[in-house]
Amino acid sequence: MASRYDRAITVFSPDGHLFQVEYAQEAVKKGSTAVGIRGTDIVVLGVEKKSVAKLQDERTVRKICALDDHVCMAFAGLTADARVVINRARVECQSHKLTVEDPVTVEYITRFIATLKQRYTQSNGRRPFGISALIVGFDDDGIPRLYQTDPSGTYHAWKANAIGRSAKTVREFLEKNYTEDAIANDNEAIKLAIRALLEVVQSGGKNIELAIIRRNQPLKMFSAKEIELQVTEIEKEKEEAEKKKSKKTT
Amino acid sequence: MNSGAWEEVGCAKLWNEWCRTTDTTHLSPAKSFCMFYHLKSNPSVVLCQCNCYVAEDQQYQWLEKVFGSCPKKNMQVMILTCRHVTDYKTSESTSSLHSPFLKALKTQNFKEPPCCPLLEQPNIVHDLPAAVLSYCQVWKIPAVLYLCYTDVMKLDLITVEAFRPILSSRSLKGLVKNIPQSTEILKKLMTTNEIQSNIYT
Repeated sequence: MASRYDRAITVFSPDGHLFQVEYAQEAVKKGSTAVGIRGTDIVVLGVEKKSVAKLQDERTVRKICALDDHVCMAFAGLTADARVVINRARVECQSHKLTVEDPVTVEYITRFIATLKQRYTQSNGRRPFGISALIVGFDDDGIPRLYQTDPSGTYHAWKANAIGRSAKTVREFLEKNYTEDAIANDNEAIKLAIRALLEVVQSGGKNIELAIIRRNQPLKMFSAKEIELQVTEIEKEKEEAEKKKSKKTT
Repeated sequence: MNSGAWEEVGCAKLWNEWCRTTDTTHLSPAKSFCMFYHLKSNPSVVLCQCNCYVAEDQQYQWLEKVFGSCPKKNMQVMILTCRHVTDYKTSESTSSLHSPFLKALKTQNFKEPPCCPLLEQPNIVHDLPAAVLSYCQVWKIPAVLYLCYTDVMKLDLITVEAFRPILSSRSLKGLVKNIPQSTEILKKLMTTNEIQSNIYT
């Protein structure tokens, strides 16, 4: 039945599905995992780095991109679609700044990206964008924000979320571990993001990329060394927790 | 196959429109399409690795050539194959399917219980694996076919791991060595086969 209604995306199936949009969400699951966490004074974006070919320049394979000084996003899905969306968003950020002399709010740019995506689900001859995005940043009022968009053009605010391959596993981990203690300070929020990624990343710290934005500070990308430090700390904490557990049982 | 435990004993060459080379007379064994190996420690265990598409009109001849000269008594056949999960027909919602998953089909003479649920109707098996199973059914050879439904187009570690339950079946138990580094070896094999794809990030 599905094959009759997925040729042109402007066609609804008899039971109300837009199959192309649903297939686009499958394309998102082919991208590597990205996780976003909203702390009290920090927002964290962590991604699983894709393995890069030997001769490829690593710097050109980036999943975390700044849209403006105070907003950045991570995506999962089709690389080329992401590039187009990011370019449009960046232009819109500057255009907004020049027109109204204020930087965009995180919600404004998320709505812009979501509207762009929705437009492509409602015109003929075009297919939806095959990406989901996690957009983080601080507004002028100093409140941290995390939004997620998906190929259908919907966007929602989240406290913590994951997209891409194994997103379900990471989200379940976050649901269990996102507590007031876990985001009590910046370092804890960073650790939570790394712990969430370690659940699904296969080779540990060297395949993780992390970016944070602190209030009134620009985007900071973590170096491989800094990530390794965090990973070793996490593993130490894990060992100590295991020791305590085994002591309790004996 | 170059672990040293397997020895090449033969190959089956064929050509059809799906083959990538047109010159079958000058094919070196490495380029041949169906390789047969036997286990050095137990020569009665034969493995066939089929890398090509065997067309429907060639399947019977292939089977006759391969099985024709084998004594059919005391022979047991196990077939491993893959299919994309979009081919799997079920009344359940597709979001509840956890691919990759394994399904089995067996001949009447295969008395052992298979390691996974049987393939339900209306799903069917295609191509050479189906031909081999049918042949085994006709000649009353105990045979089992394990079909892995996966959601990737290229073989990857998770799909190969889906076949793991087979290693604990009675017929293979005697051959399986319990190596603790088996996951590491598998990972290495899979990463060398991965062709870099930049479409998805």
